[in-house]
Formats: sequence, structure tokens, C-alpha cells
Amino acid sequence: MKAGLEVHQQLSTGKLFCACPSELSETVNAELTRRLRATGGENHHVDPAAAFQASRGLTYRYESTPKNCLVELDEEPPHPINADAVDVALMLALMLKARPLDEIEVMRKIVVDGSNTAGFQRTALIAVNGELTLSGKRYSIPTICLEEDAARKTGESHGELRYRVDRLGIPLIEVATGPEISSGSEAREVAEEIGTLLRATRKVRRGIGTIREDLNVSTTGGARVELKGVQELRLIQKYADTEEERQRVLLSIRDALRARGASAPTQEAILLTSLFAGVTGGPLADAVRSKGWVLGLRLPGFAGLLKPPGDSAERLGRELADQARAAGLKGLLHSDELPGLGVEESAVAQVRTALDCREMDGFVLVASRDEASARRAIEAVRVRAARALEGIPSETRDPLADGRTRYSRPLPGRDRMYPETDVPPVRVDAERLRRIRESLPERPEAQRARIAKSFGLPMESVRQLQQLDELERFEHLVGKGHDAPSVARLLTQTLPSLEPPTDAVAEAPPIDDGLLHTLLQAVERGDFAKEGIGPVLGALRAGAPNVEEAARRAGLKGITLEELARMAERLVERNLAMVRDRGAEAFSPLMGDLMKEARGQIDGGQIAKALREAIARKSASSPR
Amino acid sequence: MGRRVRITGADGQEWEGTLVPSHELLGARIVQLKLESGYNIGVRVDPSAQLHVLPSDEPPAAEPGPDTNGEPKTSGSAARGADPVHLLTTGGTIASRVDYRTGGVRPVHDERGILAFFPDLEEGGPVHVVPVFDRLSEEIAPDDWSVLAGRVVEAFHQGAPGVVVAHGTDTLAYSAAALSFLLRDLPGPVVVVGAQRSPDRPSSDGFGNMTAAVRVARRGALSEVVVLMHEGLSDDRFAIHRATRVRKMHSSRRDAFQSRNGPALGWVEGDAIILTEPVRPRSLSSPRVEGRFDPRGALLWSHPGLTPERAERFVEGLRGVILAGTGLGHVSSVHLPWIRRAVAEGKVVLMTTQCLEGSVDPYVYATGRELLRAGVLYGGDLLPETAYVKLLWALGMSDQAHEVGRLLLEDRAGEFEPRHPPGAGA
Repeated sequence: MKAGLEVHQQLSTGKLFCACPSELSETVNAELTRRLRATGGENHHVDPAAAFQASRGLTYRYESTPKNCLVELDEEPPHPINADAVDVALMLALMLKARPLDEIEVMRKIVVDGSNTAGFQRTALIAVNGELTLSGKRYSIPTICLEEDAARKTGESHGELRYRVDRLGIPLIEVATGPEISSGSEAREVAEEIGTLLRATRKVRRGIGTIREDLNVSTTGGARVELKGVQELRLIQKYADTEEERQRVLLSIRDALRARGASAPTQEAILLTSLFAGVTGGPLADAVRSKGWVLGLRLPGFAGLLKPPGDSAERLGRELADQARAAGLKGLLHSDELPGLGVEESAVAQVRTALDCREMDGFVLVASRDEASARRAIEAVRVRAARALEGIPSETRDPLADGRTRYSRPLPGRDRMYPETDVPPVRVDAERLRRIRESLPERPEAQRARIAKSFGLPMESVRQLQQLDELERFEHLVGKGHDAPSVARLLTQTLPSLEPPTDAVAEAPPIDDGLLHTLLQAVERGDFAKEGIGPVLGALRAGAPNVEEAARRAGLKGITLEELARMAERLVERNLAMVRDRGAEAFSPLMGDLMKEARGQIDGGQIAKALREAIARKSASSPR
Repeated sequence: MGRRVRITGADGQEWEGTLVPSHELLGARIVQLKLESGYNIGVRVDPSAQLHVLPSDEPPAAEPGPDTNGEPKTSGSAARGADPVHLLTTGGTIASRVDYRTGGVRPVHDERGILAFFPDLEEGGPVHVVPVFDRLSEEIAPDDWSVLAGRVVEAFHQGAPGVVVAHGTDTLAYSAAALSFLLRDLPGPVVVVGAQRSPDRPSSDGFGNMTAAVRVARRGALSEVVVLMHEGLSDDRFAIHRATRVRKMHSSRRDAFQSRNGPALGWVEGDAIILTEPVRPRSLSSPRVEGRFDPRGALLWSHPGLTPERAERFVEGLRGVILAGTGLGHVSSVHLPWIRRAVAEGKVVLMTTQCLEGSVDPYVYATGRELLRAGVLYGGDLLPETAYVKLLWALGMSDQAHEVGRLLLEDRAGEFEPRHPPGAGA
């Protein structure tokens, strides 16, 4: 496998081409509807991806919010590009040792799926030829771009897609790596390191959906496939693996098709609605009931290869069904899954006769209420079936929540790019680069090495702190005199495992640096033990007004060494027979009991010490 | 241009791509390259930089340019039999695309390009494209209005059921008003249409506007000059405005055109053309051009600090002036002396309001009464720009100031609205 990553990170600098904030909103205060057409670029070629989207003939409904202005609605020309966002992109470029362009030109990338009100996404190449070294391996960074984010989809109903324009125009930095990644786990590491670099600029948005990864995957003999919008880093591995598996299966199907002399379907699609008059259930029922269209297409030599035996979920039938879906249908039926799904064996025989199928031939059926969608779907299936004989088509695929992927559209070409003449180009002069170079943040790997060395922490904890973006807070708290390992444990384990706050608790104090400082001080004073930190934080989340009260509500009062010694004494008294009998070996069974009593109120080490001493005293004083 | 090149900069960085025409805004010594990825970039070419022309496997990209065969064209795919709607093109955003030389948008020279841009245009019947001008609307002058009116008359004489005039939006309202004053006895509609976004953008409002305009020209039950543009920000409804009462009220919105002092005449939604206001119906009359424009008229926007000397110099050599006064139609009393002199010299002075909504009224304040006594005519709710166009036309109709004044105050093309119901404003 050869894979490249594209990491897209939203910036918090405000929008790229207007003065609106980089913020989402739940308040919709205006709606409008639009239609989009595929239009030619400089040379009047229409891009295949753009034409495909436009052919769906959809209406787009846009929701505007109080955070938006006329620019996002394509009602006012874009303002000059946000200089802060350009600075962040240049900063990242320098951190990745890339070569910034002498002059930045904003381009329009035609995207007529409705996600951009203008029908294009504005994008600019910022720098080229960067590199990233990770665990001793060098990855090339061919391009760093700055582009505007798209509107977010909020709904879909018959013939209409609904988008909210709050996200439209938020700056996105796109970092692309070369095809040097050879495993899913590597993809994940590279994505995380790029994410860390991006966060180091301190100008990025945080939270779900603010960083997105596309994965460009190709396998030997396969084609380049772009997986768009992998939101959860941990799934990258799975998508890469799934894609590798899908391509492997499809290539083996291709070889099987070739070996048996299968050929591209050239027969006309045939209207078969009348054969299914009796169908009352299954995918065909709706079309039959509404006197719609069931079209059949013979696939010469495809029998048995649409759903080959075995566990693999990746098979040709699904690829064909994806095409029908992209054309607006719910899917299709193919010969390898029939009879079944509401279709009787006798009907299958009739279909085979009507389509003139020989034994090795397969077929597909599509059904729709209207002729146009049925024809669009069957023609898309025809093209895809023919491609199955060649290999893997280059395409854009959507990642699904279960780790699989689904066809979304053809891979767009260079014909979809033309200049955004409403925005003046930006000269990148030496002075600007000098200013940015002077304010470069510490590089992540240098930062990790420095922290690990100066605080004696294991590299893995430092990496975790960096992943969680807690290094700054770590240094701050340790700087106040707290013990480094304790602070690291608090930030990497205790805090992340805390229950999220509930809406009911409005008065809960924010868990900020000051509060953590107070909390650590309380532990150091012996108010309660470090094991009590989690319960105290929980009590604070649940509404306790301060650390002291939280400790009380968590049942942690803190005990003195004298109290602990008395507690151990009493325990030993209660178990005198065993202590006399087993001496020091009584420690293990009794330690559990004492922990139950004293946990969180005093350090665990002290508890063990107190018990050992109490046992020793009793064994020593006992009569022989 | 259009050659594949490799540029090696002073720092050793190599760039490969296709040379594209440079932007006017680009810095000195910057050449623009289109990379294989489709991105354009600017590369600084220092004296030490090297440039190699690379072999190209495809012919250089043709620069969009004049490609006209000189003949008006009717698409062969259109339904035969019906008389074609005539589409007069003048340039402007609606017929523009990106110009890679200047970086801005510029008009399409090729009328076939228009039909290529608007593939749905002929769905209801044939359209006959007649290129008249090839200019952005700020370059269109009063003489051009008369040429345009002549072409409209010609189109009707050739049997067109209606005429569409595609025009840049900046001065669209002036041209539309001019056609209203020039054209007499129209048999069908003249629909002036524009776009706020050029049709090389997938989101252009031009597609919807143009299709709706052709629809009104073909089937609309009226015989007036109207302006058709987006009613709101959505692509589903298109307002039909009376040409003498419409104004561009926003520099960029799709719904920039608004009827003033009353509602629009109606709208187009899908196939439906809905007229809610009284209009002049279609007739069998034979259209003609009546009058011409005398350029010795002007429009003066009054403002605090405007000195009478400057104002008087402004009206030198003119036969008439439209004042866009404040409020109910006022200018500072310091202007009374030159106004009296101008009127005495036979100049026509007509007052309108820069409020753009509501009528002028000379009787409410003393200033108004003084201006009236000085010989200023009060133009009711005439829009300043409409009044200006009408002044040029009226000056062209008569040498006599009193006759010019009479024509100015007489309703000719629905430019006055005597009733202003509440809530009827735009």
C-alpha cells in the first residue's frame, strides 16, 4: 500500500474572506434556496466531478445564522484574504521546512454539491516541498494550502439538500504528505504529528470536526482513491486497511472476470416492470406499486462474482449499488442475491430469459418511481461494471462509521480550478517571513525532548501531554512547585477520565489552572491523598463550590499519621489470632481491609507502612 | 502564453507549469504559472532565474477571444415554427467571464457563447441572439440608448413576441428608463435583465434571471419596458419591475433591484408569470422610436457645503438640471440666486428627492416655497436618475423650456405614482 494524507485544520483567526468569526451557531435567522450549474474553467472544459454533481439537479437550501454575513451567502464579493490566516499557514510552512510561494494566488475550485454557495471553494497554494521526520522516517510535504471550509450539511429531503453556512469560510490549512505512508498505524502517527504542529501555532479551532483527514490510498495495480473526511483519527488505520482489502478483492474479481472472458455490458437496459406485478415486498415493491420503472441490465460473464463466497464485505455488487445510490436511488438488486428480497425464483428465471442471460451471465435490476433516475442509475452501473474489467476506478469515497467506505464521486481533475479574480494576490516578502520566523513556536519533537529531559518524565507521558495539548499547563503547574509525575498523571489520566459536566450544574467552578493548583496543594498538605484527586474533581464537576467542600462531599476528610497508626492498631487487634499465627505474612490479607478504610485520605505508601509497624509491634509483644 | 515552462529561481527552487496571462495586480517581476494540480502561483523571476520551454504534449490552451461569425444565431435545436424571442446583448456581467489579462470579468464577444452559457434558454421556444454592444454598463452612454431602442423596434418588426435586453446592472436602470421614454406603441414586452454574478460561476443569478426574462418576453401579457431580476436572495422568484420606477439599491446582492414608491408589477415563479399591478396589455400596434436625447442635461446631488459658485459652474452650458435635493426637495437658500439666473436664461431646473422614496413637496417649508418661486419645478416621486434620463429625452423633444417642463411633469411611462399606500414601499 502507498498512502498519502491530507490534514485539514480549521483556524480560529476569523473567516478567510470576510469579517465573520470562525464560529458555528445553532440559531438560524434566514433561509434561502439556490441552484448550481457546472460551468467551464479557463478553457471551458467542464470538470467530470462538477458535471456529475450538477447532473443530480438538486435544489440547495441554505440556513444563515447571526454569525454570518452576505459574503458566505455569495451576496457580496469576498474581502481580501485574512492576513492572520495566511501568517498561520506561512508559520506552519516554515515549521515543515517548506518553501513559501513568492506570491499567493487564490483559486476557485468548482464544487457543485451545494456545500459552497458560490459553487466553488476558494483555495490557495501557500508553500511547497516541505518535510516531516518522524521516528527516523522522512515524509515529504509536497503542498501546504489555505482554503475555506464548506457549509455543513444539516439535512436532505426529496430533491433538496440543506446546508448551514456558519462553517463556510472558516480557514482551513491543508497539509498534504507524499505517498510514503505504508501502514494504517503510520498514517495515524503522521496525522497526529501534523495535528500537534498545527496546534503549536495556537491559532487552531479545537473539538470534533475541527480537524479532518483525507486519505489517498493506492495499492499495486489499483488506482488512487481519496477517502474524504475521516473525522476520528483512530479510524484512519481501519479505513486504510479496509481500502487495501477492498482493492485487493476487486483486483482478484477483475482477474477472475478476465480469466472467464467476461465482457463489458453493451446490451440496452430493458424495462422489466411487468415481470414483477405480483411483488409486494422488498426493494422493488415501491416502484411496482407506483407504476414506476424496473430496469434490467445483463452483465456478461459476471455470474457469481458480484457476491463471491467468503467473509469479505468488499465485493463488486456493493460497488454497483453505490453507483445506483449516487444516482439518487436507494440501491439495486443483483443476480447473486436472488431469489430473495421479495423476488421469487420464477421471476428470476423470467428476468434471465428477458435479458437473454446465459449461465455465466449476471444481471442487475434498478427500480425507481421515475424513468430518468432509473436510467441514470443503470447507465452509471453499466460504466462501473465495465471498469471492473480494467481495475479500480480513481474516485472519491466517503468513510462510514463502521470503518468501511462508500463511493461518493469521481476524482476531480485540474479542470475545476480557475483564478478567483475577486481577490487580489498576496506578495510574500522577506520581511513578512522574517517576522514569522522570529515567532516560530518550539518544534514538537524538540519540545518533547526538552520536557522529558528537564522533568525526568518518560517520553510516552510527554507525548501524551502533547497529544492532549497539556504541555503548557504541565509546565505552569510544575513551575508552581508541584511534583512532575503527579502533575503528568493528573493531566493525562485523571482529567481525561472525568465525566463530562452536565447541564444541570451551572455553578460548578471551571477546572482551570488555579483550581488544579489548589487541588495539588491540598494533597501536598495531606488534606487527602493523591488517590482522592479523582473523586474531588468529580465532586467539583457535580457542583461543589470549592476544593475543601468537594473533599468533604467525596467523603475525604484526610487523616493524620497518628490517626492512621490507631486505625492500623485497631485492625491488628481485631485480627490478633491471625497476626500471631502468621506474623509479617498477615500483611497481605489485612492491607486490603485497611485500604478500604483509609483510601484517598492519606497516601497509600503511608498506609502500608503503618500496617507493617502495627503488625511488627503485636508480633514482637506477643507472648511466645 | 500557454507554453509549458520550467523556471529555476535564484535559490535553486524549480517550478514547472503552464504560463498563464498575468494579472494587472501582480507585482513586478512575477510571472504566473498554472501547475499540473490546477493551482496558479506567482513566481518571482530575478535576473539570475532561468527559464526553459518544455515540450508540450497538448496544443497550447487557446485564450478566450473574439470568435464571432458576425451572424446572429438561432439554435438549431429550438422548436421551429414559433417566432423567436430576440435577445439583444450589450455586455455586462450577464454576458461576462473571467478575463485572464486584467483579472476581472469581461464581456463575451461571441453570441454563441451566450447560448452555451444558458443551455435552458430555448426550452420554451427559439431565441434569436442579436449582439448590439460589447461593453460593461458604465461604458454605455445616452447615444447608445437610441441605438438600442432602434434594435428593439427592428426585433418587433421581425415578428418577435417580445424582446430581452441583457445589460450590465450598474446603469441598467438608466438604460431601461431611456427605452421607456423612447419607445411608443410597443406590441409586447421589452425585458431588461442583468446578473449580479457572472455566468462562469456555478451560482450565477444570470441563469435564473435570463430564463425568466425570456419567459416573460415570450408569454408575458404586457407591452411595457420592464426590468427582471431576483426578487429575493433565493433562485426561485424573479421580480418584474416597471423600468421607470426601479433602482439598483445594493452593490452586490442578487435582489439589488427594487421598485421604489410602490410594489413591483409582479413576479415569475417556475412557469408562472404573475402580474399583480395594472400593466399595459399586449397590442397589435406598430412600435416606433419617438424622440432623441439632448446631452445638455445633468444631475446634481445636493449636499451640505455645496457652494453656489460650484453649482453654478456645474450648470454652465446645460439646458436643464435635475436637483437631487434633501427631504421634501430642498437645497440651501444660498443657491437661490444662481437658480433664479439659470431659470431666467431658459434652463429647466427640476427638483427630486435624494431620499429615493416618497414625493417632493414645495409647500411644507419656506425653502420649498422660495425654490418654487425661483422657478424650480417639483418632480413628485420621480426617481432622480429617471428624472435625469427623462430630462435628456424632453430636451431632445423641444427647444422651449416651458414645453420641456410640461413633458417632464406629464406621465409618459408610468414614472409617477400618485398613491403611496403604507407598506407598499420596497
